[in-house]
Amino acid sequence: MSEADVDLGPEIDPRVFDSIDFQKNPFPVYRQLRDHHPIYHDRFHNRWVLSRYWDVDGAFQDNGSYDRAMYKADGPYEFGSRHIFGPNILEYGNSDEHRRLRNIVAGQFVGQKLQDFIPMIHQISEEVIDRFIDASEVELVSQFASQVPIRVISNMLGLPREDEDMFVTWYQHLIAGLGFGGEHLMRGLNARNEMWDYIDPIIKKRSVDPGEDLLSRICTAELAGSRMSAEEIKGFVALLLAAGGDTTEKAIANMWYHLMYTRPDQMVLALENEDLWENVFTEMMRYDPVVHAQFRFTTREIEIHEDVIPERAGVILYLGAGNRDERAFDNPDTFDILRTDLHMGRENRSGRYKDGKNGHLGFGIGQHFCMGYAMARQESAIACSKLAARIKDPRPKNSTHPGISSPSIDSGGFRSPEDLWIEFNR
Amino acid sequence: MKIHIDKTKCYMSGECYYNHPEIFKMGDEGYPEVIYSDLDKNEIKQHAQEAAEVCPATALKLEL
Repeated sequence: MSEADVDLGPEIDPRVFDSIDFQKNPFPVYRQLRDHHPIYHDRFHNRWVLSRYWDVDGAFQDNGSYDRAMYKADGPYEFGSRHIFGPNILEYGNSDEHRRLRNIVAGQFVGQKLQDFIPMIHQISEEVIDRFIDASEVELVSQFASQVPIRVISNMLGLPREDEDMFVTWYQHLIAGLGFGGEHLMRGLNARNEMWDYIDPIIKKRSVDPGEDLLSRICTAELAGSRMSAEEIKGFVALLLAAGGDTTEKAIANMWYHLMYTRPDQMVLALENEDLWENVFTEMMRYDPVVHAQFRFTTREIEIHEDVIPERAGVILYLGAGNRDERAFDNPDTFDILRTDLHMGRENRSGRYKDGKNGHLGFGIGQHFCMGYAMARQESAIACSKLAARIKDPRPKNSTHPGISSPSIDSGGFRSPEDLWIEFNR
Repeated sequence: MKIHIDKTKCYMSGECYYNHPEIFKMGDEGYPEVIYSDLDKNEIKQHAQEAAEVCPATALKLEL
């Protein structure tokens, strides 16, 4: 039986969105929303909710009606100053600034630039595996998944390899600080400031003597005739850690979790055929992606399903619910890496594919489609296939697992297991 | 100026219409369509050239 088989009936108590149950297993509520409330007005949280595949797709496509930005790009304040990462690209909404800034960096994560990094991803994966291979067991999240992506990013930025361990520590504190308050937040802010102090002189140097690396490119890129400030660059680096490091970490963890605990019969297939790891990635991004929700603000009245969402309304798009919509996928609650009704290859920003199949919504679609999509896919598939090749007969150390959860699905909290112990033979 | 879209090469990456919504829009099937723009000729040319450069499928050709 699948976790989505629970029938909750038609009525929704909006307090459910704040419950631990929802963070652990949102799928029965997603079904209620899709089946009974294709538009749900959540008066308790003062927002509207979309959950069907084609409605989420439609909102992602319609930039004229749904805006991503919290602040106006020409607002009377230091732009983005109210964000924990400092000024960053996510707050530019649908503006020309967003398109220009995105174009500067987006090219670094696709095509030839990405291909140039593939050998480094292989090498880093092997090095990380070397650290635990003799133990015959691994806690996948802390010893593998959280190690590989951040080391890859550190290399993309062109930071010295001997500083990588320091960077990993800052990263782990920074990410913990995002999800929790109190001492975690203090440690996170300290780590962020230490990282910024570390990177400040490097930014100054690369601005006058740039190399081929990503940091040099960001330092020297010109936007409407002027360069990004040191503050903006540091904000961008912090954002990269969360957007590029944390998401890929959790993607890798979710892939192994679902193979070990949801479909152990299909884990055998992936272990035998390294080409299948891209399928595992794609089906994970559909069945239970790292990010389940995105937020938008309406810029006009929207008529949909014989109802109206007013102008200036907050709308939550449950892409995690759209991915489980039987209007788009057969047997949507089955995790199946051999699925024939899902586009399995590289994602398109348009969400449209020549094979006529539907794609997963896990990267979003359109203007704010994940910039690192190709990188995340390749990195996850390579890291996982390397691990699969090195460890024999991998199996869960514990026969049961408390499951995947998010600190807060609605505010974009990432879903992933806290830990994942694997036993193996050498 | 004319913009040719090679639909055999195009794989609907969407880069042209999301980066240059002033001259392209997504058509029904996901392929780009050129739309009317009130920008001046030189600006249109510049945007079209940028779009052709970033197209990952090299499916856009300009006839200047």
